[in-house]
Amino acid sequence: MIKFQAVNKFYGDYCALADINENVAKGEVVVVCGPSGSGKSTLIRTVNRLEEIQSGEVLFNGRNVHARIKSAELNRLRSQIGFVFQSFNLFPHLSALDNVILSPWRVNAVSRAEARDRAMALLDRVGLANRALSYPAQLSGGQQQRVAIARALAMEPPAMLFDEPTSALDPEMVGEVLAVMRSLAKDGMTMMCVTHEMGFARDVADRVWFMDAGRILETGTPVEFFGAPQHPRAQRFLSDLRSH
Amino acid sequence: MLSNAIGIIQDNWLLLLIGQYPNGPLGGVAATLLLSVLAILLAFPFSVLVALARLSHLWALRIPATALVYGVRGIPLLMIIFWVYFMFPLLFGISVPGFATMLCTLVLYEGAFLSEVVRAGITALPAGQMDAARALGHSYGSAMRFVILPQALVNMLPSILSQFVSTIQDTTLGYVINVPELTFAANQINNRLLTKPFEVFLILALTYYAICFSLTQLASWLERSIATRRAGPAMPKLVLAQ
Ligand SMILES: Nc1ncnc2c1ncn2[C@@H]1O[C@H](COP(=O)(O)OP(=O)(O)OP(=O)(O)O)[C@@H](O)[C@H]1O
Ligand SMILES: [Mg+2]
Repeated sequence: MIKFQAVNKFYGDYCALADINENVAKGEVVVVCGPSGSGKSTLIRTVNRLEEIQSGEVLFNGRNVHARIKSAELNRLRSQIGFVFQSFNLFPHLSALDNVILSPWRVNAVSRAEARDRAMALLDRVGLANRALSYPAQLSGGQQQRVAIARALAMEPPAMLFDEPTSALDPEMVGEVLAVMRSLAKDGMTMMCVTHEMGFARDVADRVWFMDAGRILETGTPVEFFGAPQHPRAQRFLSDLRSH
Repeated sequence: MLSNAIGIIQDNWLLLLIGQYPNGPLGGVAATLLLSVLAILLAFPFSVLVALARLSHLWALRIPATALVYGVRGIPLLMIIFWVYFMFPLLFGISVPGFATMLCTLVLYEGAFLSEVVRAGITALPAGQMDAARALGHSYGSAMRFVILPQALVNMLPSILSQFVSTIQDTTLGYVINVPELTFAANQINNRLLTKPFEVFLILALTYYAICFSLTQLASWLERSIATRRAGPAMPKLVLAQ
């Protein structure tokens, strides 16, 4: 469903992504991990073209997101790829409910009443029906991130991308967000998650990709990757992670 | 002297308030406020367009808008008034009343300054807001309209109010092209009395001060209440840190 073909990205001379060739199949859950600055955010942001690439292709459902396409076409593709940010990025001037309503209503031209009903159902799904009228500033980090997930789901995307969705959260709030992500995975959502939550990766991921210095150095099932990492960089990364 | 001033007010309050209206054109405080309010109401949408053009990726929009802003900011207001006043009839062959001339000038001038405020308000928002909107499939225009501008404009309200105060002060220059506003009315009175310029212009200064001071107070109150609202009752520290 998501396919990287010979993707290269540079910031000036600095190579942020080097020759990425990987697939995420429909219904698959991929966890991307790696040290800070290894290019995980850059990689995931190329899928909906929040970052441009210098060469290669990123295909979503067979369509090259980075081709010369009309902006309307790119917007349509983006609306089919849910994206959850580390810093939530909820719209602070709108209530939780309106955050979820806005895009189906204004982008997909769903009637406001219908968008509202669906938004309430989604907020209920993430356990926040009772906070629908709260503004983002009145919600805890974990609650904001769950609203952000509901907001992305409101576009009914066939795939969801998560960029370190729990790393801005206080430890006691990590669980509630991971629980929502687990239930999405269980329902068969195609997911690509940048995360260092190894428990989540072990339980939910079909495959783990390990990145370093702009390259995917190793891929494997969680059992393979956590049990017997092949690459020395991956071994060091895992032992660093465990010693924390 | 105080009693002189009170006497002048008692004799001329209607002239100071509304000019010679309804027997002549509207003037005095009413004309000053009307001119300022119309100017800021028209300058505001103009300034949003100029700001968006300045932020545009299209050079055909960006360059003229930038030139306009730099041009207007580099020329004294009085020069622009003269240009509009003398050039408009020459170019279009119609003579324009002073009030309309002054209004056009103020829209251009205050709009150029306001556009910088609007631009700063837009660029001050975290980049994540635009990212989130684009990731949801909003077009650039839709993201601006529903996500960026509503936030930027609320944050800018105090600055817009300050610009309004400047506009009120700038209307005094309408005097040089005979716009019948407050300064014009005061000068009429002074010309009639001849011997009491100090009292007359004291009244004038106090009137401007009263209007502008209350608006400035309103602006700082707004600023404080927006800051409180933005912080929110339960804002987690982590979010503030970003
Ligand atoms: N706008 C930019 N200009 C220049 N270099 C950048 C820019 N954005 C990212 N980089 C560099 O690209 C590399 C990859 O960044 P990226 O944010 O993808 O890393 P990451 O793996 O997500 O790290 P983290 O775990 O800290 O989020 C980093 O070395 C970073 O310094
Ligand atoms: Mg990152």
